Amino acid sequence: MADINPLLPVSSSDGSSNLTGQATCRRPIKVVVSIFFGLLTVGLFAALLIRNNGPVDYVDVHENERGSLASTAFEKAENLKPVSRGPAAGVSEKSNWAFGGDLPDYPWNNSMLSWQRTAFHFQPEKNWMNDPNGPLFYKGWYHFFYQYNPNAPVWGDIVWGHAVSKDLIHWLHLPLAMVADQWYDKNGVWTGSATILHDGKIVMLYTGSTTEGVQVQNLAYPADQYDPLLVHWVKYPRNPVLVPPPGIGPNDFRDPTTAWLTSEGKWRITIGSKINKTGIALVYDTKDFINYEMLDGLLHAVPGTGMWECVDFFPVSETENNGLETSINGHGIKHVVKASLDDDRHDYYAIGTYNDRNGTWIPDRPNIDVGIGLRYDYGIYYAAKTFYDQNKKRRVLWGWIGESDSEAADVKKGWASVQSIPRTILFDKKTGTHLLQWPVEEIDSLRLKGKEFNQVRIQAGSVVPLDIDSATQLDIIAEFKIDSDALDKATGSSDASFDCVTSGGAAERGALGPFGLLVLADERLSEQTPVYFYMTKGSDGNLKTFFCNDQSRSSKASDVDKHIYGSLVPVLRGENLSIRILVDHSIIESFGQGGRTVITSRVYPTKAIHGAAKVFLFNNATELNVTASLKTWQMNSAFIQPYPNL
Amino acid sequence: MNNTISFALLHLAFCFTLVSFTPISALELHGTGANMVETTCQKTPFYNLCVSALKSDPRSSGANVAGLAQIGTDKLKAKATATLRQITALLKVAKDPKLKMALRDCADYYNAIVKYDIPVAVEAVTKGDPKFGVEGATDAANEADACGRGFKNEPKFPIYASNKVVHDLSAVVASIVQLLL
Repeated sequence: MADINPLLPVSSSDGSSNLTGQATCRRPIKVVVSIFFGLLTVGLFAALLIRNNGPVDYVDVHENERGSLASTAFEKAENLKPVSRGPAAGVSEKSNWAFGGDLPDYPWNNSMLSWQRTAFHFQPEKNWMNDPNGPLFYKGWYHFFYQYNPNAPVWGDIVWGHAVSKDLIHWLHLPLAMVADQWYDKNGVWTGSATILHDGKIVMLYTGSTTEGVQVQNLAYPADQYDPLLVHWVKYPRNPVLVPPPGIGPNDFRDPTTAWLTSEGKWRITIGSKINKTGIALVYDTKDFINYEMLDGLLHAVPGTGMWECVDFFPVSETENNGLETSINGHGIKHVVKASLDDDRHDYYAIGTYNDRNGTWIPDRPNIDVGIGLRYDYGIYYAAKTFYDQNKKRRVLWGWIGESDSEAADVKKGWASVQSIPRTILFDKKTGTHLLQWPVEEIDSLRLKGKEFNQVRIQAGSVVPLDIDSATQLDIIAEFKIDSDALDKATGSSDASFDCVTSGGAAERGALGPFGLLVLADERLSEQTPVYFYMTKGSDGNLKTFFCNDQSRSSKASDVDKHIYGSLVPVLRGENLSIRILVDHSIIESFGQGGRTVITSRVYPTKAIHGAAKVFLFNNATELNVTASLKTWQMNSAFIQPYPNL
Repeated sequence: MNNTISFALLHLAFCFTLVSFTPISALELHGTGANMVETTCQKTPFYNLCVSALKSDPRSSGANVAGLAQIGTDKLKAKATATLRQITALLKVAKDPKLKMALRDCADYYNAIVKYDIPVAVEAVTKGDPKFGVEGATDAANEADACGRGFKNEPKFPIYASNKVVHDLSAVVASIVQLLL
């Protein structure tokens, strides 16, 4: 056996030493010691090797099947577990359909599936869509680009779709803006953002996945700046302009932001990435969008949050009710950092202070830092992006709303995903800790017939039907007054662990909740989607209010998401509880307390569709009577269609 | 005596160095060859299936996690395609109307798996946006699950075994792709 210990003097394994000229009385001790440690070393090496080649059950996958076919002729179908994806804390909407149970998949028919298509939310005519890209206002038109698969209702073959609108509501489809025709975006023309330069020209930075699958940043611009429709786009001939820097993985470098000016007059962008499990935002300065210098530091980083996708960075005014152009900085201004977390498919934001000199940002409240605190939306909402609308001086937010039904149903119906109604974003002066989101005012132009309900008393444990005609395209604004006596009388509980997500939904009765609205509900309430408040009182007497959306009974079908979404919503003294809901077939967008807490969900009823859909007020609390006042409007279609005669 | 002591200490130092390298966690960090398969499969819900499926492909030795994900999806595609063929063949000879209906539903699900779920997973892994790969693989598992539920009240479930393999292998692939996030 070869001597494998290089530190031992040359000797054979039987211990005999080749050392010469040594005093004979020392030799035996040395020999013994050598043998001892030699054997120890050998033993350790052997242990190493044995661990490497542990016993493995080599089971030929095909053999298994053939061999057991004969014996499975009489086996009943085993209840295979639906597969859960994502970390337990932030399981993605499609991962694990709670209450899916043992029922076979729903036999969706065309009437049910075709009903699901929205009337006034942006979606392409067919196939798959995901992230919003490069939104901007230019020469009288709002432009919207988006990740699109022209070939199938699932993600893949991604190119840039394009549409224009005069009012962010009535969209007209245009030809694809960019396709995967260069080596640097052959494997995907991915997300990007627009910057409008001093002279009004537009530059677009976007991520390309190269032929080698490396993520790089590319520059593109309109072929004809005088074309208000910006139909054709040109890619900078010497793309890419940015490649992953040292220390950043080739698949961890994507979604460049809109640029903002530094005090030195350079343009600055940020790009999300990660180092191990720390989500980070890299910073680059440029003068021409072609040559960049990477700053030494990061804009920000938060350990444990994983990859930061679709990072967004923008200023908000602490005092004014208008949006701010992306480069604005100074007194009375806070900056928001937002990231889409790859790990849990949610969009998080934090409000803080930006340091222009070294390109860093720190959160006002590190305990609710990016990725561990507030979300834009507590339902299905991802890859959101804002832009400054210089037309109406507001900051507008777009968000991708995926499907939460089965992928087989998406294939059957031939499309997947919609965009949220664009929302204005403002700093919430009253709380100082939240952003407020609200559907853009242009949505009001879709309101048709309206109906008002005043002071409707809803006793504890009751349901009140609302007599409105159709209930699949609705705008509802509701206010709830609660008996303050009842709040005072309610006994505080030390059980301060309520959470919409883990609760029993609207069927779980508490002293002070749930109460709210049931939408997309049929007359017998066999299907219903509650949107509601749930209040709790701590042993210290402090009231907490939660805003939730319960899908557990939203559909008889078992192959749709049945989770309950929601979160705490700050309610200030003297405020009534208010909800705004936009119902548009299979999408519900709900805004609590003026947009402090927002929940978007996808709902796929089988019965509560077309004329059978109704709306109810409900109060399932045990010790509270509630009075509701609300306005409801039928909503017209936005008639989203291809641009005529292009 | 001094020589012996320093001699012994040198040996001891060397042995301790060795000892510090035997823990599996260190091997995980430097996972090489066959070891990468084991450590990756430990993070999936079906270890044995994962190891046998990956190792049956010679590319698995020396593959990184992305490579193993691709091998996994290839295996899944082969298995799903074979199962779809099985279903089609069974449909030709099936007489019982309830059986036929359940098989037809499964054919739909497997068409979705082969035509959509797996290509999405493959594309997501190769192009570097793994979250869609997790979704594609999970969708495949859910479709297999749905196929199985259709046989719940049937006395016979002829494709039970292959359907289970497709389900479990999809779950394995989803877990491996999850590691790329």
